[in-house]
Amino acid sequence: MASNQSGIQDWWLQRISAGIIAAYVLLLIVLLLVNGTPTAAQWQALFANNAFKAFTLLALIATFYHGLIGVLHIWPDYIKNAATRATLNALSWLAAAGYALYAVYILFGLK
Amino acid sequence: MSDVTKSKPRPVDMPTFRNIAVSDLARYRLPLPGIASIIHRITGIALFFGLILLLPMLQMSLKSEAGFEAFRTIVWGNPLAKLVMIGLLFAIIYHLIAGIRHVIQDSGKWLDLQVSRSTASAVFVSSVVVTALIVWRLW
Ligand code: HEM
Repeated sequence: MASNQSGIQDWWLQRISAGIIAAYVLLLIVLLLVNGTPTAAQWQALFANNAFKAFTLLALIATFYHGLIGVLHIWPDYIKNAATRATLNALSWLAAAGYALYAVYILFGLK
Repeated sequence: MSDVTKSKPRPVDMPTFRNIAVSDLARYRLPLPGIASIIHRITGIALFFGLILLLPMLQMSLKSEAGFEAFRTIVWGNPLAKLVMIGLLFAIIYHLIAGIRHVIQDSGKWLDLQVSRSTASAVFVSSVVVTALIVWRLW
């Protein structure tokens, strides 16, 4: 991911993913501020809507990607030891991949 | 250039520029825009690893009506867990607003010190206010 030479690609993906997450978070904030605490039925109906489900998955995948690029750029700023850095990189990748599988399962795997 | 190396006596009030040492840290105050930036970084990391808590809660809240109620009583009903949730809520709102400021500054605007300072303060104030509004609405 941080494999591109110039970092320009990461920079753009970081901003495109940020835009998607921002749109999703703003939508949720407005819904919560306008309607207050949802009931279980309202909350679950919202997530049963296919368009909202698709937007949720998109926003979550954007989040995992954005967060992964972010932390992969942060570790070398503070961690000078190569082995520690490699461990943190591996953990970050593992977290992002695990989150993605889990998110698909939450949204589309539950019956 | 070369006479830089000659040792002339230094005027007393001439500022010295050097890397700070660990022993300086207690006296060193990060400028406001620097604080805004480091908190953007900290909130980003907190959110990335906070997902480990948030995803199971999303799953729980969607699984069944009982699951949703369990979220409300076990998480929202527990002062410590509630504090963690409010912390993560603040993290995402702060990170969102500071991220927008960051992108604007990347485009070359809001860069001089005065503006950078006042927009940094605006990020702190607005993120606290928006968080408070949501918490008040959901309490
Ligand atoms: C709400 C919408 C969001 C916006 C507008 C946003 C914006 C940004 C921007 C513009 C950057 C780039 C900073 C840079 O280039 O130095 C960034 C970095 C980052 N973001 Fe986000 N972000 C959002 C949500 C998230 C979420 C949900 C996470 C958690 C997974 C996250 C984690 C990170 C991390 C870890 C960094 C790296 C921070 C750094 O390098 O200092 N962001 N964000």
